[in-house]
Amino acid sequence: MKELRDFKAALDEHAIVAVTDPQGKITYVNDKFCAISQYSRAELLGQDHRIINSGYHPPEFMRELWSTIARGGVWRGEIRNRAKDGSIYWVDTTIVPFLAKGGKPRQYIAIRADITERKRAEEAQKRLAAIVTSSDAAIIGKTLAGIITDWNPGAEVLFGYTAAEAIGRPMTLTFPPERLKEEAEILARIGRGESVKQYETVRRRKDGTPVDVSVTISPILDRAGKVMGASTVARDITERKQAEAEVLRLNAELEARVVRRTAELEAANKELEAFSYSVSHDLRAPLRAVNGFAGIVLEDYGPQLPPEAKHYLERVRDGGKRMGQLIDDLLAFSRLGRQPLGMQGVDTKRLVQEVLLELNLPATGRAIETKVADLPACQGDPALLKQVWTNLLSNAVKYSRGRAPAVVEVGGERNDGECVFFVRDNGVGFDMQYAGKLFGVFQRLHRAEEFEGTGVGLAIVKRVVQRHGGRVWAQAEPGRGATFYFTLKEEAKG
Amino acid sequence: MNNDGIEILLVEDNPDDLDMALRALRKAHLANHIQVARDGAEALEFVFGTGAHLGRKVENGPRVILLDLKLPKLDGLEVLRRVKGDARTKMIPVVVLTSSKEQPDVVECYSLGVNSYIVKPVNFESFAGAVAELGMYWLLLNHPPN
Repeated sequence: MKELRDFKAALDEHAIVAVTDPQGKITYVNDKFCAISQYSRAELLGQDHRIINSGYHPPEFMRELWSTIARGGVWRGEIRNRAKDGSIYWVDTTIVPFLAKGGKPRQYIAIRADITERKRAEEAQKRLAAIVTSSDAAIIGKTLAGIITDWNPGAEVLFGYTAAEAIGRPMTLTFPPERLKEEAEILARIGRGESVKQYETVRRRKDGTPVDVSVTISPILDRAGKVMGASTVARDITERKQAEAEVLRLNAELEARVVRRTAELEAANKELEAFSYSVSHDLRAPLRAVNGFAGIVLEDYGPQLPPEAKHYLERVRDGGKRMGQLIDDLLAFSRLGRQPLGMQGVDTKRLVQEVLLELNLPATGRAIETKVADLPACQGDPALLKQVWTNLLSNAVKYSRGRAPAVVEVGGERNDGECVFFVRDNGVGFDMQYAGKLFGVFQRLHRAEEFEGTGVGLAIVKRVVQRHGGRVWAQAEPGRGATFYFTLKEEAKG
Repeated sequence: MNNDGIEILLVEDNPDDLDMALRALRKAHLANHIQVARDGAEALEFVFGTGAHLGRKVENGPRVILLDLKLPKLDGLEVLRRVKGDARTKMIPVVVLTSSKEQPDVVECYSLGVNSYIVKPVNFESFAGAVAELGMYWLLLNHPPN
């Protein structure tokens, strides 16, 4: 009897034990049963095993269990149970029926072992296997000798070999002949426990075609931390490679187009220069004849001519002179677009004073008041900027004719990295509805009899300012003067 | 025609410009002893005594060359280059007749050693000015008005 108690003690120490009556009512549980199920003995006794049923197993499973033990047979299997707090545990279960005299079960003894950890590991492995199986990437295992041990469906798709064809063969199966030496290097690194990461290379499919791949190869360690093989993850990067090649091709094409365009522009520029030269020479020759001979007639036969004839000849000469001026201005304007900018720091105030001096205002005999504020230094081509100031200031002087005194005001300030300048006069001004025409070539807002000019001055201003990366605009009112503004870059520091 | 007394070589292809230049020279009383060349090649033949002017001595002048730049065959710049590049003729003053003083040619003319330029149309004042600039009073002194 003591021997039997000792057996029971040993069994309780090792296993989860429960005893039920033939109806399945729990008549005994040991401490281990209470511990794993989290129920107290009092809660368990008199209940049946449904109290720990997780609902995981199908009804057939339970029927098969019951019919086995009801027939007096021993049942073995793995059962998923639910503890009181809802957590899941797995038990390896053996149920032994104790039979009564008539051969009917008197009671059942269930002996269980906790296999939750093992089941979790199995499930994790199953999940991993599912991931490997469903991955687009080729995932391959190989030994340190380079023999393929694992080959997922991704690898089948990428390389064209089935797992059955690939496993057991060397990894070099997928190498093009000229890259065979890569494998020795890879295996050497893996052998040293190193990985090869995101390495772009070319592999060969079963049908012999090359495929661009990105490969990561990592050592697989055994429990002792020793390298036992390698895992290879390979991705098809054909599309990316093609996109890269396309980008390169487009870039090259763009570059070629730029070169071609530049050559075309240079040719057009040369043509324009030849045209300008031709204009200045050939257009001027007949003009000289018109002017010259009209002048000669006036000079040699003036006294004999009726006053009206003389007047008309003067008109011929004036027209000729005017055309000469137009040609000169047009040439000057076209040159502006082509000549390179000699950028440097420009002392604006000095430049403005120099221009005012050259305009020789006292010689006009008019009362002209000039107010020049402190002007910020700017960055630009001094010769071209001088042209801008000359045109704006001479315009201000011209269109304020008839005012006594005429007031010409020059100002400027730094604003957000650029300089804003203005030239203001108290002259005739203009209607803002024509402001759009102001800066066009040969556009004039006043009749030639009122104010002389060819209509190129402001066009030159605009072109010079624009070539400097600036803006130009005007504000005016008829009879109340005009203000012209333009911006330039601030003088570069240092 | 006795070429030896030539004082002025006028190189001009445009008949209008030529007439006006001749008239201005006449008005300036410089019309005697003018040789006209209608292109660059003809001008060089005259200066160096070749071609149509074979036998003419280089040493005999002209005393001054009035040179248009745009010419058939050889252009004015080339004529200038040859005249200024030859030891026997480089001392001859050359006045360039130009359509516009803004032309890039003008800069090149100076680098080739041109003595002066006149912007067309050519009038009496231009000639007088150019002549004065060249300091050729002898021309006027030796050839008083007819």
